[in-house]
Amino acid sequence: MYRRLVGANMRGQMQYRVAFLLDLVGTGIGTAAAFGTLALILQRFENIAGWTLAEIALLYGLVETAFGLMDMIFSGFDPGTFGQQVRRGTFDQMLLRPLGLTLQVFGSDFALRRLARIFQGAAVLGYALIAAGIRWTLLKVLFIPVVLASLVCFFGALFIVGATITFWTVESIEVVNIFTYGGVEMMSYPMEVYHPWLRRFFTFIIPGIFVNYYPALYLLDRPDPLHMPAFAPLLAPVVGGGMLLAALAFWNFGIRYYQSTGT
Amino acid sequence: MQPAIISVNHLHKHFKIYKHHRGALGALCNLFTREATTVRAVDGVSFTIQPGELVGYIGPNGAGKSTTLKMLTGLLTPTGGEIEVNGRVPWKQRRAHVAHIGAVFGQRTTLWWDLPVIESLDLLQYIYKIPPAQFQHNLDEFRTMLELDPFLNTPVRSLSLGQRMRADLCAALLHDPPLLFLDEPTIGLDVVAKERIRQFILHINRARGVTMILTTHDLADVEKLCERVMIIDYGRVLFDGRLESLRDRFGGQRELVVDMAEEYATVDVDGATVAAREATRVTYQFERNALSASDLIGRVSARYRIRDLMVREPNIEDTVRRIYEERLLDEE
Repeated sequence: MYRRLVGANMRGQMQYRVAFLLDLVGTGIGTAAAFGTLALILQRFENIAGWTLAEIALLYGLVETAFGLMDMIFSGFDPGTFGQQVRRGTFDQMLLRPLGLTLQVFGSDFALRRLARIFQGAAVLGYALIAAGIRWTLLKVLFIPVVLASLVCFFGALFIVGATITFWTVESIEVVNIFTYGGVEMMSYPMEVYHPWLRRFFTFIIPGIFVNYYPALYLLDRPDPLHMPAFAPLLAPVVGGGMLLAALAFWNFGIRYYQSTGT
Repeated sequence: MQPAIISVNHLHKHFKIYKHHRGALGALCNLFTREATTVRAVDGVSFTIQPGELVGYIGPNGAGKSTTLKMLTGLLTPTGGEIEVNGRVPWKQRRAHVAHIGAVFGQRTTLWWDLPVIESLDLLQYIYKIPPAQFQHNLDEFRTMLELDPFLNTPVRSLSLGQRMRADLCAALLHDPPLLFLDEPTIGLDVVAKERIRQFILHINRARGVTMILTTHDLADVEKLCERVMIIDYGRVLFDGRLESLRDRFGGQRELVVDMAEEYATVDVDGATVAAREATRVTYQFERNALSASDLIGRVSARYRIRDLMVREPNIEDTVRRIYEERLLDEE
């Protein structure tokens, strides 16, 4: 059923071919420029907090690829557009269909235009994997898809929470964007450059540190300057999956609230 | 008597409305203060509907119509009271419930905006798990009746309002729901399109026995389609009965327009008042309950020579407007 819904959505997207291509090119240029800037700065300063360009490219590539994937798969939950769905009554239409709501929201949008960001992220990630001097083991090879999946779950959870909040606020609120888009920016850099309270925030409140930074430390065999337990990198799937489950629980709670108030 | 397809018992829905302050400072106040007033959108509604009925559910804006409809379709949870539709509680068994109802909203479409109509219909076949033979049979019938063929391959966003409405009606009925909710199905349509939609609705109700609840602001819809009408205001049912009995009770004054053979100095008759007089044409008003039309004609013709005459019934629109405005039903 999900495949059919997504297929319908993609055929719909293909009705706007020019817009789609422009979107693709635009996003591609935008994200490439972002990494280009980073690369230029690093050429000047050689490293940031002891991290080389290739090593930072690993952080950046993982986050960008995962965020692009998430943005494509979870775009039905994009807080900005989901708020409109609620306002326009499209969400009511979903309630009128004999299908699960989560499935329908997932199926309501599959943003192919995010492909540009995914490709660009994957290219940077590929460069990092080759140039960062990783000492490869089988475990590390298997770990990379796990990290990506954890990151997708992590950002997806933020999207779902943001979408759920719109049941109360109707408008999507900027605070959520700070965590999602801001999180992407933050997590593209090594955590030791940040102020301790910011690190604590990303450890205990929105534990993004476990899905990107620690896995990167593990892949690069870098010592942990923050002195977390040695198993910290392995927490990535636990944190990602846990956050997604928690977000879905909140989402179901939000739906019950919505059904008791309407708009 | 068959068991009711819908039974609603002491249904309540209360909303908390938070007080809004105006201006930029007010917006800040809104964040921190929570002065709530409770609005009783639906305030103790009870009714039952038998299979095959076509019921008009009418009332002024904000009367509680769409809130009731949202609860019947499972979109909203009531504050109190009970609803059973097809033996199910809508908000508790949402998926099973919505699989056995159809719903058409004049204001918005159930179809996929960017897809051709036929692709939306195909998707619905999977969503409702409609057996292919049944799907094909229904689709063929609706295509002809609603004349869908000219725009079956057009994306929904490019359809005219009337076309979209026809496509939506088709979409709502493909899975053979025994019950159809129609929310303003003729809103914004021209006379011809309205008539076409009405005929289709009537046909489906008669030929397939589909039970229907219809909300509308166009009382011609009610007049042409519904035998039973419910009037709701302030969240309460003010009237529930046959359309004629509404007219009988609240129809107000009927009019007898007489063209006299010659001009008389006085044209008074017992039991009727002269509402207008223009040359030989006299308009009498009389109470439906006090005097029958034939009695009045007898009285007039006993005194004066009549060339022509006509009895005017008050139309349902005037009747309902009077009910809203004069609160005729409030004391009951």
